[in-house]
Amino acid sequence: MVKNNLGHAAFCAIVTVIISFPILGLNLEARGVNITLTGASTSTYVAILVAAATVFVFQTFRDSLMGLLRKAPKLNPISRKQPMERSRRVKLESWIITGIVIFALFWPFFVSRGSVDLATLVLIYIMLALGLNVVVGLAGLLDLGYVAFYAVGAYTFALLSEYMNISFWMALPIGALLAGITGMILGFPVLRLRGDYLAIVTLGFGEIIRILLNNWTSLTGGPNGIGGIPDPTLFGMEFGRRVKVEGNTSFHETFGIAYSGEHKVIFLYLIALVLAVITALIIRRFMRMPVGRAWEALREDEIAARSLGLSRTAVKLSAFTIGAFFAGFAGTVFASKQGFISPESFVFLESAIILAIVVLGGMGSQLGVILAAIAVTILPELAREFSEYRMLIFGAAMVLMMVWRPQGLLPMRRTHIKLNRQE
Amino acid sequence: MTTSLKKLVTAIGASVALMGAGHAAAEIQIGIAGPVTGPVAQYGDMQFSGALMAIDRINEQGGVLGEKLVPVEYDDVCDPKQAVTVANRLVNDGVRYVVGHLCSSSTQPASDIYEDEGILMITPASTSPEVTARGYELIFRTIGLDSMQGPVAANYLADQNPERVAIVHDKQQYGEGIATAVRDTLKDKGVEIAMFEGVTAGDKDFSSLITKLKQADVEYVYFGGYHPELGLILRQARQANLDATFMGPEGVGNNDINTIAGDASEGLLVTLPPSFDEKEENQELVKAFEAKNEDPSGPFVLTSYAAVQLIAEGIEAADSKDPFDVAEALRSGTFETPIGTVEYDEAGDMKSFEFVVYEWHSDGSKTPAK
Amino acid sequence: MQDLLYFSQQLINGLTIGSAYALIAIGYTMVYGIIGMINFAHGEIYMIGAYTALIAITGMTALGLAWLPLILLVALICAMIVSSSMGWAVERVAYRPVRGRHRLIPLISAIGMSIFLQNYVHLAQGSRNVGFPALIEGGFTFGSGEAFQMSLSYMQITIFITTLICMTVLSMFISRSRTGRACRAVSQDLGMASLLGIDTNRIISVTFVIGAALAAVAGLLLGMYYGSVDPLFGFIAGLKAFTAAVLGGIGSIPGAMLGGLILGVSESMTSSYLSGEYKDVVSFGLLILILLFKPTGLLGKPEVEKI
Repeated sequence: MVKNNLGHAAFCAIVTVIISFPILGLNLEARGVNITLTGASTSTYVAILVAAATVFVFQTFRDSLMGLLRKAPKLNPISRKQPMERSRRVKLESWIITGIVIFALFWPFFVSRGSVDLATLVLIYIMLALGLNVVVGLAGLLDLGYVAFYAVGAYTFALLSEYMNISFWMALPIGALLAGITGMILGFPVLRLRGDYLAIVTLGFGEIIRILLNNWTSLTGGPNGIGGIPDPTLFGMEFGRRVKVEGNTSFHETFGIAYSGEHKVIFLYLIALVLAVITALIIRRFMRMPVGRAWEALREDEIAARSLGLSRTAVKLSAFTIGAFFAGFAGTVFASKQGFISPESFVFLESAIILAIVVLGGMGSQLGVILAAIAVTILPELAREFSEYRMLIFGAAMVLMMVWRPQGLLPMRRTHIKLNRQE
Repeated sequence: MTTSLKKLVTAIGASVALMGAGHAAAEIQIGIAGPVTGPVAQYGDMQFSGALMAIDRINEQGGVLGEKLVPVEYDDVCDPKQAVTVANRLVNDGVRYVVGHLCSSSTQPASDIYEDEGILMITPASTSPEVTARGYELIFRTIGLDSMQGPVAANYLADQNPERVAIVHDKQQYGEGIATAVRDTLKDKGVEIAMFEGVTAGDKDFSSLITKLKQADVEYVYFGGYHPELGLILRQARQANLDATFMGPEGVGNNDINTIAGDASEGLLVTLPPSFDEKEENQELVKAFEAKNEDPSGPFVLTSYAAVQLIAEGIEAADSKDPFDVAEALRSGTFETPIGTVEYDEAGDMKSFEFVVYEWHSDGSKTPAK
Repeated sequence: MQDLLYFSQQLINGLTIGSAYALIAIGYTMVYGIIGMINFAHGEIYMIGAYTALIAITGMTALGLAWLPLILLVALICAMIVSSSMGWAVERVAYRPVRGRHRLIPLISAIGMSIFLQNYVHLAQGSRNVGFPALIEGGFTFGSGEAFQMSLSYMQITIFITTLICMTVLSMFISRSRTGRACRAVSQDLGMASLLGIDTNRIISVTFVIGAALAAVAGLLLGMYYGSVDPLFGFIAGLKAFTAAVLGGIGSIPGAMLGGLILGVSESMTSSYLSGEYKDVVSFGLLILILLFKPTGLLGKPEVEKI
């Protein structure tokens, strides 16, 4: 057996060297006006050899290794337990989420400003990921241009405040609605396309919207973006040091406390938190409604679902529109948090990151998506030395997840009814 | 057991608190915020090497008001979103002076936070006029504006009496801003502008654009943007026998353009801040950079150096560590820095920042253009 | 006359880019034809091919080799070897384990692979644009005097000819050789082919290797033609090539050629008569329109939905 594998193993090891040696081991460097080739450090070469050796050994003893792996006791302690009963599981999940929310409500008052700001970003990603989860996780439509709707929300608020002085609270529903309508208009023609074609077309739409935002200089300021986007107000109270809009009062003067920049950051965080909770609740509701069932039915088996009388277009369109709506929601909050937006915040990579969150979280599961959003946003902040490797790890994680655990870290388990066989 | 643990925790807590206190008493933190990673990290390197050098040298001379300067580094990847996160972390860490950010699109959202939080910011690289146009008190820069650099280029072009000029830009804040400034000045001077067009940053094929330039029969082409695109345009223009002189802003003036364009970079016109590293009074500083095996010739090295120096001298002039007092001192004083004599106007821009037109050569050197 | 020359020049520009798109598009079209997935990482394989060629050229120049045909040949072979190994490895690592699962899963795996490879090269070689030496210079000029002169460079001719040769050889290989016949059988019906004794795993590997090798050819040619490489330039080129493949009818090799040429020409015409800013809008718009009205592309066979 081992003998049979030797040839293949040697081949794999050689391929490993071929694909890593020129790119890793020979570096193109600019010396003055010339490009020269320099060797990498010795450790790089050692690493390449070690990698090749590992591949060789693994491939040689592949069968026995895999057998051992299968026999080995599962590391996962939960796996031996019986799967939790459905009702308990659902209850547990909602308790966990409630716990997280209560914790999140009081947490910002005890930690630093930087953490609160980061948490606001996490919440924005949670909203985005929950929205995309409807499209990708539940309805099974791969949308690679999701960032376009996020941009529509952000730009709606920026433009409304720039030209019509509309406040955050007015812009929030308008932005979300506009994003939803954009989703519907774009979705209508393309949703009859099959999965992978749909992915490419949505990617194209995402790029087109970004290019248009970038080129329409007279309206959107083009690459200069739009600045001076107002912060949200609390009943007409502003959180800045100075009042910017006439007629408003400032928060710290009204309450007679000293000005602190933290008020604004915490307030924004709380708004984002409330909106994220609203997003989660609404989507949760949708999931239990007939339309939510229809999404999943269509994802699982389109032909069967259609033969049962589900309108393919209507079901897909609803998922697409709702996803876009929440992206618009998140976009408005993002614009308000940044105070300045430009097309470079809405590139394809952003779509890919949101998609990675949904995939890592286990497509369909809300708790999973929330945890993944937290992990994906915070881990690079914690390990800043590794931030260069962030995207590399993202890519690898996406592949590995698909290979080993396509259902994600916390897969969704549907509340289903078990039919007892009639004796 | 529990009591000893408690004691231990208390002891550690107390010592940490004391350390923190000692920290605050004898040090002034200088935040350096710019791209350490990402596509424009090479400009970030210039910023960090200049600012760190300035901090070292000021500390060697005894620091500021008897206190040492301590650098705190932040990476914003030149991404507006990260820039806001970085700005908030800076506030958090109690930093009150910032040298940064680099890209205008990062500087703009970050400066909103700095102004609100009473942090003094000096950007060594952001040239967008927007940055200082909002009436902020604490935002300064040690570099000229697009609206200063554009006219220098346009005046030079107009003096050559060209029949037709084409203007191309890369549809980014920096490139389009400068290209617009050039166009407006040229229009005022009555020069015919045959074309004003954008290209996509990151694109590689410019053959259609070049054919169009050929058809328009232009004598000069102004390109607003960075070296990767202009390098390719130069080279592909040479291949297609386009006979025109190209000109670009300081974003194209580095050796990378030679590695891309090769011989085609000969004769390119570039507006640059005067090469501070070639000034006589800076030679000692240049040696210090070379001793550390760093290159002082990048466009943002000495502007970053000057930014740190201005903060230090501002603190001394104000005899106060309050950023508002320092800002006041910067506006009222005159400072000698490696980038020349600095005086600030109300907006926080230098009253004069010179740009010079250079002719670029294929060996990477440059000479003042005639 | 002037306008005609201008038009022909733009046509040549478009056709050059178009033939290169076609070379990359082959990889998409063959993989899609056989296992029905979009190999998102294909653009990155093209980018890696360009990098390897540049590394080989720089290395040989440093060693003092100066005979042009030898340099080109060695660079081409190096690029093809590295790219095909990469293509093979990508298929083994990221696609084979997920083959046959739900449609979205290989696609997400491919996107992950694409991000991974981009950053792999980015970390290893840095993010800056690296100049690519122009090895083939000069060309013909048409038109005279002060008026507009049309030029056709040797580089452009090289690109046309190489593409034509590659396409012809590939078509012959697919239609005549044993492996080619097996490829066609597998693309018709994978299950049936394996029942008939075809080693389908091997055929799928061969498909990836051929696609990657052609991408490497494109990498070398376009690297010389454009003049620089950077880790990000594979992605957008990959998208364009995929558009070309869809345009011509995915799964069809002459379709990839036709789609590439149409896309190249329409891009160059947009830049020349409208504005370069809208080039990408036009190519993506074209993709969307084609998918909406003729999802099987210009030369594709109509697909029957299997139940």
